[in-house]
Amino acid sequence: MEKVVIVRYAEIHLKGKNRGYFERVFCVNLEKALKGLRHELRRTSGRYLIAAFDDADADEILDRVSRVFGVHSYSLGYRVPSDLDSVFAAARTVCPQSGTFKVETHRADKRYPMTSLEISAAIGGRLLDANPALRVDVHSPQHTVYLDIREDGTALVFGTFEEGAGGMPVGTSSKGLLLISGGIDSPVAGYMMAKRGMEVEYLHFHSYPYTNEQAKDKVVELARILSRYAGGEALATVKVTHIQEEIHKKCAPELNVTLLRRFMFRIAERVAKKKGAKCLITGESLGQVASQTMEGITSSNAVVTLPVLRPLIGFDKEEIIVRAKKIGTFDTSVLPYEDCCTVFLPEFPAIKPKLSFIEEEERKLDVEGLVEEALTTLERISIH
Amino acid sequence: MIYLDNAATTRPLDGALARAKTYLTDCYFNPSALYHGGVEAHRFLSEARSALLSRIADPALFDLIFTSCGTESDNQAIFGAGRRGNVVTTAGEHAAIYESCKELKNRGVEPRFAPLHADGSVDVEELLSLVDEKTSLVSVIHVSNETGAVNDIAAIAKRVKQKNPRTVFHSDGVQAFGKLPVRLTKDIDLYTISAHKIGALKGTGALIRRKAYTALPAYLHGGGQENGLRSGTENVFGIACFRYAAEEKFASLQEDAKRLAAYKEQFWSLLDRALFTRLSPVGGSPYILTVSAHGKRGETLQRMLWDQGVAVGTGSACNSKKPHSRVLAACGYAPEVLDGVLRVSFCPQTTQEEVFLAAEAMNEAVRAFGGV
Repeated sequence: MEKVVIVRYAEIHLKGKNRGYFERVFCVNLEKALKGLRHELRRTSGRYLIAAFDDADADEILDRVSRVFGVHSYSLGYRVPSDLDSVFAAARTVCPQSGTFKVETHRADKRYPMTSLEISAAIGGRLLDANPALRVDVHSPQHTVYLDIREDGTALVFGTFEEGAGGMPVGTSSKGLLLISGGIDSPVAGYMMAKRGMEVEYLHFHSYPYTNEQAKDKVVELARILSRYAGGEALATVKVTHIQEEIHKKCAPELNVTLLRRFMFRIAERVAKKKGAKCLITGESLGQVASQTMEGITSSNAVVTLPVLRPLIGFDKEEIIVRAKKIGTFDTSVLPYEDCCTVFLPEFPAIKPKLSFIEEEERKLDVEGLVEEALTTLERISIH
Repeated sequence: MIYLDNAATTRPLDGALARAKTYLTDCYFNPSALYHGGVEAHRFLSEARSALLSRIADPALFDLIFTSCGTESDNQAIFGAGRRGNVVTTAGEHAAIYESCKELKNRGVEPRFAPLHADGSVDVEELLSLVDEKTSLVSVIHVSNETGAVNDIAAIAKRVKQKNPRTVFHSDGVQAFGKLPVRLTKDIDLYTISAHKIGALKGTGALIRRKAYTALPAYLHGGGQENGLRSGTENVFGIACFRYAAEEKFASLQEDAKRLAAYKEQFWSLLDRALFTRLSPVGGSPYILTVSAHGKRGETLQRMLWDQGVAVGTGSACNSKKPHSRVLAACGYAPEVLDGVLRVSFCPQTTQEEVFLAAEAMNEAVRAFGGV
């Protein structure tokens, strides 16, 4: 009786001729997720089996598999020879000690001497005989014992179906650069894009010494948590202190944030091109704060040519928080360290800034010089 | 690096470390062990205990409980002596006292906080008005860690005892021990000291107890160390550092205090009066000078100064949820003053050159400040 984790994949089977490519990426991602744990990854038709792992690592393996995009569902079970005695022994192990149950059989091996129904009935009967505390309920059982009779003379026996992270294997949908702030939203935005198969790179803006090093550490931690889903090795940081000081000194205070965001987008685009990212990703949600109005978004988009993806644009804060909690970034996001947006926050930010006014104010600044100067502060911080 | 955040912690003294080393490498035995090595370690603890104690109190009247830090000593005092009625303390306490007193509420004991003068010292008349027949404990910080103001604890303790002789009197002396001349009077029942503020190590502190105050209960239960009042294997190396650092500090305590008092005033005279307001009183602890660069953020200035090679303290960690120092707010300062607090704290190794350089760096940092 060999303990295995059965991994079923989600949309990959829809991908026609590209299926091979998607499967290869998926397989590489699974291997990456399992790095450092003894295991063997085997491909069988339509699913993967993780086997030959240490019993003590089983929970860790399930946890890691749960975060791999492209996984539709997964189960911890046993791989046994497909004779009835062996299947029964495994079924006893996965079947609980009491309550109602049923046995559900899938028979890929059509040469097997019994039909699916006959197998279910035989194993169900033997389980009942062995344990009088069990009762059969084929309509709404508390537990289901699943039997999967494979063509190679083996059977997979398991008791649960865990829902996977879904989506597409990370790396199959190009690469994007996430503008990550330390707040609740941006990590969720990165998660959403990774879920659709996008490989995520991370860029954080700070205003040291106005913001502190703990704020930066917090973003490293967020990127680290997110990278368990979205991949990525490092966080890029750029210091925008001088830009903020210049804006503060020379421009209309109500445009502080609007102007800063235009600088961030310009810098981000250049960093993205360096890293081979094909788009920017932000955690903006329409109307959430003054800079996230349609006018604010238009003003930031106006300075870049790369597409800007805003997967949270239609989300309420509450919906974002639910996701942040599920991903595991929420508790870190709410640590009370200021990011650069809050340090120079004007009392009354412009909600609907006119592009002509913005451009007029921006002409007071050496935009290109400031962008170049900021790029010299680009740092790479490992997140592993 | 010009290190002027000595009220936060001090650089361990080389001499103390060197002398104490043998208790790390050779005499590392458990002081409770009954063979010779253990007995030797135990003997050393007794010597260190009376050496430390006799610096500020009469060993015939007081004893000393080694603890892991000032905070632990403060907690033992508050939760050990404040078990009924009410506990009177000040708005100027270190968080170890202040938060412990707030916790007393959950244990059915009423905490009462006496207001402060603008310099950070307690308003003694107000404090005494809070003491009544149900007051089980009064705790007053000796030297304010935020302004350097000195409370006359001997006089306060005496008046507390006149009002209610059954009230236990405690003082947190962490910023006083090894820095100011201290002599514990018979009205003081408990007194907290800490090692790492005087050139010894973090992880070592002590609670001094008047022997006649026998009602103090054990804080940690276990093997019965420290006369049953604080179980746990003693940190012999840390205590050795504490002893030797204290020896060094007390050898030149008066001269150091005099010299640093002059440095402190000199530092203040070097600061640009257009940029800074002084919060520390004249005549407070010579070790602490607190000023405010009003309207600027102290936390940002602190990081700018660090980048210039000068380490100073701020009023408190600045964040959006807890923007200002609780103690300095209780002194009655306006928000823009509280924003810009910087605490400069000296040690006997501080040089005049450092005073000049650091004061100039502070002026420069405020002038270079470009934000809000």
